Amino acid sequence: MPTVIFQLPDGTERKVIAASGTVLMQAAVSGGVEGIVAECGGNASCATCHVYVDSAQAELVGPPNDVEDEMLDFTAAERRPTSRLSCQIHLSDALDGLVVHVPEEQV
Amino acid sequence: MSALTTAAPGAPVVELDLAELRRDPYPAYAELRRTAPLAWVPSVGRHLLTRYDDIVHAEKLPEVFSSREEGSLLLRTVGPNMLREDDPDHRRLRTAAEPPTRPRQVRDQWAAAFERTAHELLDRIAGRGGADLVRDFAEPLVAANLALVLGLRNASADDIADWSRAMMDGNSNYADDPDIWLRAERATRAIEEAVAEMAEVTRREPDGSVISSMVHAADPVDLAEIQNNVKVIIGGGVNEPRDVFGVGAWALLRRPEALERVLKDPSAWKRVFEETARWISPIGMYPRQLTQDYEIAGVTLPAGSRVALVIASGNRDESVFERADEFDLDRPHRPHLAFGGGPHFCMGAWVARHEVSAIAWPLVFSRLKGLRLDDGATASDSGSAAGSLDGWVFRGLTSLDVTWQATA
Ligand code: FES
Repeated sequence: MPTVIFQLPDGTERKVIAASGTVLMQAAVSGGVEGIVAECGGNASCATCHVYVDSAQAELVGPPNDVEDEMLDFTAAERRPTSRLSCQIHLSDALDGLVVHVPEEQV
Repeated sequence: MSALTTAAPGAPVVELDLAELRRDPYPAYAELRRTAPLAWVPSVGRHLLTRYDDIVHAEKLPEVFSSREEGSLLLRTVGPNMLREDDPDHRRLRTAAEPPTRPRQVRDQWAAAFERTAHELLDRIAGRGGADLVRDFAEPLVAANLALVLGLRNASADDIADWSRAMMDGNSNYADDPDIWLRAERATRAIEEAVAEMAEVTRREPDGSVISSMVHAADPVDLAEIQNNVKVIIGGGVNEPRDVFGVGAWALLRRPEALERVLKDPSAWKRVFEETARWISPIGMYPRQLTQDYEIAGVTLPAGSRVALVIASGNRDESVFERADEFDLDRPHRPHLAFGGGPHFCMGAWVARHEVSAIAWPLVFSRLKGLRLDDGATASDSGSAAGSLDGWVFRGLTSLDVTWQATA
């Protein structure tokens, strides 16, 4: 059961305990984290579940997949090297303690 | 699970006049949100779900709010298709069809041709000094673009627009008019032939179109499935971008300050698009059918209940959008529901955003100097006197008469 931390644009943070095997977007939505919109329900077609992975952990999380990579060019907030779509990050115990930053805008 | 055609026990029953809904549905929706956010409406034969939060909740639960609706007119018109399937069947078809509509493909593969077509259409009308921008520009533009993205090189923009209209009439043929069915059948048969021909061609020479993508899908799709899904895409693919174009242009022509700002800062066209789609959503509602008993908005719906998710109403929900009835480019960015949500999130969203907000609006407003609404096309935001705001299942301007300084 990995714990993930969402740092919100207003400076507060939200800690969510996620079931292993879910994706980060799901953890955010079930945890009621504001700012993860996820219009397409996790299918990498809307670009509204954008997060910045904390740079210290970027390598651990890994790079975006191909479909995701293209969608990241069309996010509402600027794309950065650590940008990912949270619906494409699969959670496991290896990602326990993951910190991600929620961008100012998703739409 | 067979469909229930009656009100759920405990659901308030609200009589709504369909003609009135077509003219202006928003007052009725406001009343429903306030007093009966889930209501059985006999003339629609469904429960209308009208608050933003409830709609989002339902969209996120496709296993309860199923897209497999029995007796759907859409099924009768086009046959089984991905809009009326749930995952995994829906996903297999969507994955096959989607790649050409993704934003990078739109930009790299289609945008230049979209722009050429827009210029050609404007060349044709520029010297006239007046036109109906819906009929003479937006509709032929989006129809031609759709033919291109689908891979229907053997169909003209007029064919696509005619087919779309015939099928849309079928989808709303609640009166069971035999003539309407006949026209819809003629259109669907013509599409089947055109798709079969192009499927053959692209089997040998892939061309990056939707048909080609489905023909070459890793998880195989058969010809009938390609045909039916192309039908459904043609059904929706003309109205929606056309109507966002028309309503957005009309909104700006009536708001010179907003227009001036957008002309100074073209990056704002994106905002115009999203705000237009929120303000007058081209698709007003879509149906779902319950797979199990489920409580929502204070009513327990039995399995089989029919529900309409009224996204046009959610998009005017005051608890989410302040002064929701106003068209306002400066409102805080909140996600609107116009593209639907969950697995059925509009497949045409990126195509429409690009063709309308990056091409159609900027070209129209830069090429047609002194553009203004024809007298008579200036009525209020809600009325139908604007010429032609019409519809509740689908809503848009049926015409947009404008004038400008003709150039030779
Ligand atoms: S939820 Fe739509 S892209 Fe992630």
